Amino acid sequence: MSDPERTARVKKFRRLPIDGQSLKRLIEAGLIWLRTNQEIVNSLNVFPVPDGDTGTNMTLTMQAAWNEVKDSGVRNLGEMAALISKGALMGARGNSGVITSQILRGFSRSVNDKATLDVETLVKAFGEARDTAYKGVVRPVEGTILTVIKEVAIATEAALGPVKDPIEMLEVAVKAADEAVKKTPDLLPVLKQAGVVDSGGKGLFFILEGMLRHVYGDSLETPTMSLQPMSAMNLQGALEEVEEGQDYEIVVDFVPLGELDLGSFYGRLEEMGTSIQVGEGEGMYRMHIHVPTEKRYEPIDYIMGIGTVTKVAIENLLAQMEEIQKSAQIKFATVEPGNIAVVVVSPGQGLSKIFASLGVAAVVAGGQSMNPSTQDILNSFENLPTDKVIILPNNKNIILAANQAKEVTVKKVFVVPTRTVPQGLTAMLALLPDGDLEAVAEKMIKAMSAVKTGEITIATRTVEIDGVSVKDGQVIALLDGKLALAAESVEQGVMDLLEKADAGGYELITLFYGAGMAHAEANRIKDVIRGKYSNLEIEVQEGGQPHYQFIISIE
Amino acid sequence: MKLGIVTDSTSDLPATLVEEHNIQVVPTILILDGKEYLDGIGITREDFYTRLPSLHSPPTTAAPSIRDFTTPYETLFSQGCDHIISIHAASQLTTIINVAYQAAQEFPGKVTCVDSGSLSLGLGFQVLAAAEAAGTAHVGELGLKSALDAIESTRKRLQLSAVLDTMEYLKRSGRVPGAVAALGGLLSIKPMIALVDGEVKAIGAVRTTKQADERILKILLEMGELQRLAILHTNTEPRARNLLNEMMSQAAQSVPTDILFVNVTAVIGAHLGPNGLGFAAVRKTPS
Repeated sequence: MSDPERTARVKKFRRLPIDGQSLKRLIEAGLIWLRTNQEIVNSLNVFPVPDGDTGTNMTLTMQAAWNEVKDSGVRNLGEMAALISKGALMGARGNSGVITSQILRGFSRSVNDKATLDVETLVKAFGEARDTAYKGVVRPVEGTILTVIKEVAIATEAALGPVKDPIEMLEVAVKAADEAVKKTPDLLPVLKQAGVVDSGGKGLFFILEGMLRHVYGDSLETPTMSLQPMSAMNLQGALEEVEEGQDYEIVVDFVPLGELDLGSFYGRLEEMGTSIQVGEGEGMYRMHIHVPTEKRYEPIDYIMGIGTVTKVAIENLLAQMEEIQKSAQIKFATVEPGNIAVVVVSPGQGLSKIFASLGVAAVVAGGQSMNPSTQDILNSFENLPTDKVIILPNNKNIILAANQAKEVTVKKVFVVPTRTVPQGLTAMLALLPDGDLEAVAEKMIKAMSAVKTGEITIATRTVEIDGVSVKDGQVIALLDGKLALAAESVEQGVMDLLEKADAGGYELITLFYGAGMAHAEANRIKDVIRGKYSNLEIEVQEGGQPHYQFIISIE
Repeated sequence: MKLGIVTDSTSDLPATLVEEHNIQVVPTILILDGKEYLDGIGITREDFYTRLPSLHSPPTTAAPSIRDFTTPYETLFSQGCDHIISIHAASQLTTIINVAYQAAQEFPGKVTCVDSGSLSLGLGFQVLAAAEAAGTAHVGELGLKSALDAIESTRKRLQLSAVLDTMEYLKRSGRVPGAVAALGGLLSIKPMIALVDGEVKAIGAVRTTKQADERILKILLEMGELQRLAILHTNTEPRARNLLNEMMSQAAQSVPTDILFVNVTAVIGAHLGPNGLGFAAVRKTPS
C-alpha cells in the first residue's frame, strides 16, 4: 500500500465511529496477525521442548473469541465486547490464554454501556483490562503478559490529553507493548537465562499490532521479519543449528544505497540459505546466513547490488564445528553460597565432563601415575563461594593428599575416600547440594560401595602378585584395585574380568574407554559383552584416561 | 452447610472413592499424536505407557476449559450444596487451578479454590481429607473451616517421592528447575525426585532398577507410622507390589489398612515416562 493510500485509509478510520462491527474486525485482525506469528511466539520458550506452546494456546483463545462473533451483526460496542469476552473465556487455553481472556473480559466490562469507542473509553478499558488480568491469577508474576498489559495501561493513561483519538492511542499502546516485551528478561531471570523475551507478552503485542496493521491496511499474512540491534545478534547460537548441506557461514557488513526493504531482502536470502539474521547499528547492517558450498558467493553478489559492502567473512562451518567440539569447555556446576561443593580428581577429559554433568564444581586433573599435589587440590576449591567442600580422590594414591588439603584449609572439608572412578561417580549420585555436609558425606560413603570397579591396562613389567603371573606387555585386569588376571588381548581381558566379577548377577555395566582406544573398538567390545550377557544393560562412555584401555563399573 | 468437593483427574482417585464421597472430578486433556483424549477415556493407562516410548511426537497435556469447571459447580449447587471446595494440582506445574479460579468467579463467594501444591494421590489424599470432614455434618461456616483445616493438616504430613527410569521425559516436560534437568547429562541415570510445595526437587539418583527399589523403600520406611499410603507407579505393577511386600515384612505396624495401588494417570505419566515407582504417604503425626 502506498503512503497516500495508507494516509487516506487511516483518515477514514479516524472519521468513522468505532462500533461493535469495527471492534469485531480489529479482533479478527489481532487473531490473524497472532496466528501468522504463532511460531515466533512458540519459539520463545524457556525450555527446549516445551509442553503446551504459548503461541498455539493464545491463538486458540483468540479463535474462540472470534468464533463467538464472526456471524454477529451487533453494532453496539458493549454488546459486541461482551460476546468476544464470553467466547475467549470459555475457550481459554493455557496460562497465557487464560490471562488473554481476562484482558478481554476487563475490556468488555469497561465498555459495557458504550455504543462506540472514544479515546477516554479506550484508555479506561486498558486500565480495567490490566486490573482484571492481575486479579485473575492466583500468583501474579512480573516479566510476563501481565507486565505488558500493565505498561500499556500506564502509557495510554499518560498519553490521554495530547492524544485525542483512539487510533493514535492504539499506536501508543502498541509501542508500549513492544517496549514492555523487550524489558521482560530484566524482570524474570529465567527469561534472561534462556535468552528470550516472554512469549505471552509477545503474543499480546502481536494481537495489538495486528489491530494497528489492520488500520494501516498492512498485510496480516506475512510473518514479521526480525531486525535486531547488531550487538544482540547470536552468531554463536546459530552455529548450533547448522543444517545438513549448509556448509558455509557468510557474514556481510554493508551500507544500503537507499531504504532497505526488509521484506524483499529476507525473501531473496531465504532462496539462498538458512539461519538468516539481520542486525542493524548506526546506519550499518550485518547479514548472517548459512549456505551450501555452491552458493557461497551468492549473498555477497546480491548485497553488492543493493549497497556498499564493507566487510565479508566466509567460514567453513564443518571445520568450525569440529574445532568447537574439540575445545568444548566443560561446564561445571555453579555453587550457591553456603551449599556443598564437590571437587574430584579425574584422569581424563571425558570423565571430567561426566563428573561435571553430575554436578561437580571443579576437577583436578590426575590419576594413575600423575598424582596431583595437595596444593593442586587446595587450589581447586579455595576460590569457590562456599566453605563446605567434599573431595572425591578417585584413586587410592591420592587420598592422602586430599586429607592434607583438608588439614591446611579453613574450609569445612570431608574426604570421601573413593579409590576408583566408578566409586566416585556413584558417590556423586548421592549429592544433595543444599543438604547437611556431614550427612551427605556419609551417604556418599555408603553409596560408593554399591559398585564394583574393573580396570584394564598393560603390564609394565614381568611380575607375580596374588598368584597371578604377568609378563611385561601383557594385558592385565584389576578388580576393585586387586590384580585379577592376565590376558592376551583387551577383549579377552574384559571378558575374563566380567566372568570373575560374576557380572551376570548384576544389572548395568558401564565402559569408560581410554585415550588410546577408538570409539568403534569400544563399541565392538560392548557387542561382544552383550552377546554373552544379554540381560545386562551396557553403556559406553568416552573416559579419555591415559594408560587404561577401560575403566569398568559393574553394578 | 452442605459442602461440595471438586477436583481434577490428576488426583488419581479410584472411582469407588469418588462415588463414595460424591466428588466431582474434572478430566484433564491428553494430546497424543495430534488427537485429544479426555483423561481416562479412550485409552487405558497400560496402553498409553506401552505406546509412550515409540510415539512419533511426545505427548502433551492441556488444562480443561472454564466450562468444564462451571458445569460440575452447577451440578453440585443444584444438588443442594451451599459451598464448594475446588482443590487442584500444584499451580507451579499446571494452569488447572487458574482455570478453576476463573470458573469460580462465576459464583462469587461460593467456591473456594485450593492449590494443593501436589499431584496424584498427594492431591487425592487432600481431597479425601476434605470430603471426610465435609461428610461429618458440621453446620455453618464451621463445616468449611474444618474441611480446609483437614486439607492443611494432611498437606503438612504428606510426602510424595518417586524414582524414574530415565531423565528423558522429565527434562522434556520443561516443568523442573534447570538444576534438576541438568543432572546426568551424559551418564544414563535414574533420578529420584520429591514434590515439595509444588516444586520438583532432586533427592539423588541411582543407576539400576534394584538400587531404585531399595532406595524408594528406604525413604518410605524413614517416614514412620502412616495414616494413608498409595503406591504409585507408571506401568510397573510387579515392582509396586514388591515394594509393599517389603514394607509389610519390615514395618507392618507402620502400614495403614487401606492401601491404594495406582498406575498413575497418563496426564502426569507423560512427563515421567514408564517404569517409574514412588509413593504418596501421609504420616500419622506431623514430623
